[in-house]
Formats: sequence, structure tokens, C-alpha cells
Amino acid sequence: MRYMLGMITGLALIASPALADTTEITVHYPMPGFFKDVMDKIATEYMHQHPDVKITFASPSATYEDGLQLMLREAGSPEMPDVSFIGLNRLRVLAERNIGVDLKPLIDKDSNFKSEGFSETLLQLARVHDRQVGLAFAASDPIFYYNADLVRKVGGDPDHMPTTWEGVFELAAKIQALGDGTAGMSYRWMGDDWMFSALLFGNGGSMLTADEKKVAFDGPEGLAALKTLDNMVKIGKMPNLSSDAMVQSFTAGKTGMFFWTTGALRSIIKGVGDKFELRTTKIPLLNPEKGHLPTGGNAAVMFTTNPAKQQAVYEFLKFAAGPFGESVVVPGTGYVPTNENAAKDEKYLKTFYDQNPLFRAGRDQIPLMVPWYSFPGNNGVKVTQTMVDDLGQLVEQKITPEEAQKAMAQDVSKLLPR
Amino acid sequence: MSEAAKSPSIAFDAMRERAAWWLVAPSVVLIVVLLVIPTLAIIGLSLTDLDLGNPDWNFIGVQNYVDLASDRTFRISIRNTALYVAIVTPVSVTLGLGAAILIEAGTELRGFFRSAYFLPVVSLIVAMATVWQYLMHPTIGPINLLLNLVGLPSVNFLGSSDVVIYGLAIIGIWQATGFAMVLFLAGLSAIDPQLYQAAEIDGAKSWWDRFWLVTWPILAPTTLFVTTLTMINAVKVFETVTTLTQGGPSKSSEVLLWTIYEEGFIYLHLGSASAMAVVFIAVLLVLIIIQTRTLDKRVHYG
Repeated sequence: MRYMLGMITGLALIASPALADTTEITVHYPMPGFFKDVMDKIATEYMHQHPDVKITFASPSATYEDGLQLMLREAGSPEMPDVSFIGLNRLRVLAERNIGVDLKPLIDKDSNFKSEGFSETLLQLARVHDRQVGLAFAASDPIFYYNADLVRKVGGDPDHMPTTWEGVFELAAKIQALGDGTAGMSYRWMGDDWMFSALLFGNGGSMLTADEKKVAFDGPEGLAALKTLDNMVKIGKMPNLSSDAMVQSFTAGKTGMFFWTTGALRSIIKGVGDKFELRTTKIPLLNPEKGHLPTGGNAAVMFTTNPAKQQAVYEFLKFAAGPFGESVVVPGTGYVPTNENAAKDEKYLKTFYDQNPLFRAGRDQIPLMVPWYSFPGNNGVKVTQTMVDDLGQLVEQKITPEEAQKAMAQDVSKLLPR
Repeated sequence: MSEAAKSPSIAFDAMRERAAWWLVAPSVVLIVVLLVIPTLAIIGLSLTDLDLGNPDWNFIGVQNYVDLASDRTFRISIRNTALYVAIVTPVSVTLGLGAAILIEAGTELRGFFRSAYFLPVVSLIVAMATVWQYLMHPTIGPINLLLNLVGLPSVNFLGSSDVVIYGLAIIGIWQATGFAMVLFLAGLSAIDPQLYQAAEIDGAKSWWDRFWLVTWPILAPTTLFVTTLTMINAVKVFETVTTLTQGGPSKSSEVLLWTIYEEGFIYLHLGSASAMAVVFIAVLLVLIIIQTRTLDKRVHYG
């Protein structure tokens, strides 16, 4: 008995210095269906490289909205996770409420930052004014998915897909004419303003004026974007499907062309299986010289206010958004790498891209990516929904593009901060 | 009771009253903690402009309620919910009654039909919604393929703003019918078979006469109960909207609970969402009061 006690005390003595040095980080993330495996891999590898850090996961949230709510609710409480992954279009909500830690001072002190592949482009994706709200972790852009079998059937060339919207509509009408419930194209315009931004930014337009006081899509760029959406229905014969129905119909081989995020690539590949030959390419831009594309996805945000923990959390954020993290998230989902080193380095993703051509469309558009615009003020989230409602009326052909533009400008103006 | 027994009886009554309070205490505590306090908290919140995560908030009186009166989304939401309830309640109550009578009248496979109709009530509606989404798919869905087969055009049940509320109502009816059926089955089994024999001797020869003269009047309290419960459940429609339409397209499937959820947890406006919740609770209370009042006055047969 005495021997046992002695042994236990001895063990405790050996173990205690190690325990004292262990930093525990609690990590929270949304959409476990997408991210669970990815997060597990990253955490395991990080702990392997940093034996002094222990990562535990808070139970994940189903959606970005749920995740944001959780962080807003728990802000300042002891239960608050140290790190969370927040949707890029919701970072402004955090910044305006002063929740989460500004990474700028930490980055300024870090001399290796640039050489580790974190570019200015990456930083601006998760920046609100001067505040570095987080580090972009998973980034996506809208791409052009198509069913090569249907394209061939109507005499199209799957190696040379149209690069203009007019070309897309023409091909779509031909595919639709095959009958039997086949749709030429689907453009995933609903849910949020992301895909509308793709048309607007693709035409060199922007949501608000630079001072964020007035609507900026009420000019010719905005109208052309709305007319393009209108022509998808009028010329391209796009059926009015819900978001899930679009995906179901495309993966069932009943839609010729589909425009949505590259982030869904892995799940679409799985959904299609061997039913047809799936291909991807760049999405057409209304203005190829001035056009840009909005960036979807999420950023890793630091929440801990404990200075002792902050350095460890900072290292973890860099690890997740760095080459290793990216080399896990890209093949697992279809998101594009935000870290420059990850994309170029043989060790990480270069071979992957050489072997998986479907993933290249998203990557090739990286130079076009700009932040997903989020509106200022208390109604920043609500404003996007009113835009989607007006777009819905346009797609249902209840209003003209001109009427839609007017309604959107009015609705948005009403919800801007006064 | 004799004079001598009076004073101990007062002591006994006091003790009984104390005991009674002790006995109801657990449920009183639970009701206060789980119902009264949250309701008061929501009423309190509804008088503020609190945004989730925002430390600055002000007491703004009834401003949220004033805004609600002119809120287009909330009005659409009330109208859609009313339409949904007006479709789902009568149809599912009628179908439930019909199914119950048929099952009760039949001799074979009773257990099978009972479970088959009750299955939707106990199944996970979020999972079943996904199945409905496939069934109702405008191009590849079996329902539309059937419609096409008999020469009818496809209906975009969940994607067209003109029909989406009817599409959701179909799912609602599917869900509520089994529930109504089970309650009606219980009501039917309580009817004394002798009443039917007596009615037949008195000249009620057809099944309709027997239904109209015996079943319907005796089932009246059950029918009222089923109708109000179905109504309350229909007012609370949420899962199908969340999973399938998120209030769209263009607000055509906004219903009360979804609108409250959207306002509070997506737009993060806790103050105005609480005001909506108070209105919602008031609507439910009115329904419940109507039900209990009428039930109390009701003549019970049997």
C-alpha cells in the first residue's frame, strides 16, 4: 500500500510540470457534414507537432447561422470556445459588435507571416475596415458545372464551352429542347445574395457606393446583371426550382449546366457517380476586363481574451489556414486554397490538381476573387434576404428586370443605417 | 356532522390544504420556471431593441408592436399561416374521421392500417420532408410523373410562389391525418354498439343515417377536441418550412414560427422577434380558451 502511494506521488511529480505547460484550446466549427473529418485531421496533426497543446472540440453547429448565434450568445462567458469558423459574410456582424480578437497586432509582430504563404488577397477576405477579424480558411468561388453527355447530344463541344452568357443560353435552350423534363441550365440564385453578386461583380459592379451610404447597383451594371438573370429564364428556359431540387435534378442527369459554388464539388461528384460525365469550367463574366467574383466560405476567428492562450490560438489559426490545413480542406470539399504556398508546393496540392481536373475551375478563378460583400448596420443580414425576395419575383417572371432593380434599390436603402 | 367534531375538522382542513399545496408544488414550480418566467422574459424582451450579441440596447416601449402592425413580412406570414390552417385542419380532420370509421368497420388488417396511418405522426418530419421534396420535384418527382401520365401538367409544388403553401399543406395533411385518426378511433370504440342496433330498429337503415344520428353526435366532443388540437399543431408549422422552403420563394411560404425564427436568429433582432412571439402566444391562447370553454358547455352523450 505504502509502495503504491509512493508510486502515485512519484508519477504525479513527473506529470505535473508537463500538465502545467499544456495549453488547452477549444475549437468550434459549423457544418460537421462538410468539416468534421477535415477538422479532426488538422487537430491531430497540430497536436502531433505541438505536444504542449491540447485541442478539444465544442459540439459543432449545423449551419453558419447557428454557429454565429452560438458565438454571439456565449461571447464573454466561460463556455465560449477559443476559436470558431465563421461564414465570410458574417464577419462584419462580429466586427460591429466588437466580438472576437483583432488579429492585426499579432500579425504585425509576426515576421514569418508573408513567407508562410499568407498573401494580402487572403487577408482582405476576412478584413472589415482595419480590423483583421480572422484568417480565411475555406474559400470558394462560383463555377460552371456541366453534363458533358447532354452537351454532346445537342452537338456542343464539351472541351470548348461557351464563355459568354449568351452562348450559355443558346446551348441551354438546345438542351431543354431534348424534352423529357430535361432542363438546359440552373443558376443557384436563392438562399443569399452570393450568386447575384457573381453577376454584379462579374460586370464590374458593386453593392453600395464606396462610403456605404447609397445603393450602387441601381446603374447600368446592376441592370445588366438582372437582365442576365431574366434571360436565364426567358432564353435559357431555366425552370423555377428550389435550391435542393436544382442539385437533385443536375446530379440525376436532368440538367445540362449548373452554376454554383466550387465548395459543393465533392458532394456533387458523389451525387453524380457514374450517371454521366461531369465536367467543370470557369463561370462566364459579363465584363471579362473588369469583372470579379465573390468569395464564399469561412474564416478562423480567435475569441479567447486570455493573453496566455492567444499565442497558441494564433499558431493554430495559421496552421489551419496554412499549407497543411489547406491540403486537407481542398480535396475534402472542393474549396480553393487561400494559402499561396499550399497551391504551388509539390508536397501539398500541386499533384492533387494535376490528377483532379474538376477541381481546377475554382482554383483558376482565384485571381478574380474579391470579398463577399456584407452590408453595414443592424440590418446587415436582413438586407440580403429582401434582395433575394425581389430576385425571386424576377425569376418567376412576375416583374421585369427594371422593376426588380427599382424594388431592390428601395428595399435595400430602407435597411441601410441612417 | 356533530358539534363536537367541528374544531378538529378545522385543523384537519388546514392540514389538508397544506398537504394539497405540497402535492401540487412540483408542478407549480415547473410551470413557473418553464412557462411563466420565460413568457414574462419574452414580454420584457419585446419592449426592447436588443440585438443578439449587441451590448447596447434600449427600452423602447411598445414600438416593436407598432412596427409589427405595418411589417409586410409579418402580415404575409399571418395570412399564409391562416391559409395553411384553413386547409390542413378541415381536410385532415375529415380524412382522419373517414379512416377511423373505415378501420373500425373493417375486420381484417386493422392493426396494419392503424399503424400505417399513424406512422407519419411518429416519423421524424425533417427526414420525411426530404422524401417529400423528392416526391414533389417538378421534373423528376414521382407525383409529377403521375400527373403527366394522366395528361395533367407538372406542378412546381415547392418552387412556385403561387402553390408553395398548398404543397406544404399537402405534407401537413399527411402528417395530421394519422393523429386525428387515432383520436377518432378512441372516440369510436367508446360508442355502445347497442345504440346502432336501437337506431336500426327505429328505422335508421342506411349507413349514413346511422352515422348522422348516432356516430356524429356522440363523437362531437372528440371532433371538437381533434379540431382544436389539429389547428394548434397547424399554427405551429415549422419543420417543413425550415427544411424545404425557408419561407420562399419571395416570402410566399412565410409562416409565423419561421418568421419569428428568421427575425430572431438569422437577422439577430431579438426585440422584434420577441414581440412576434408574444403575438403568436396570444393566438394560441385564444384557440385554447375557445376549446376549453366550448368543451365545458358541451353536452356529453354516452
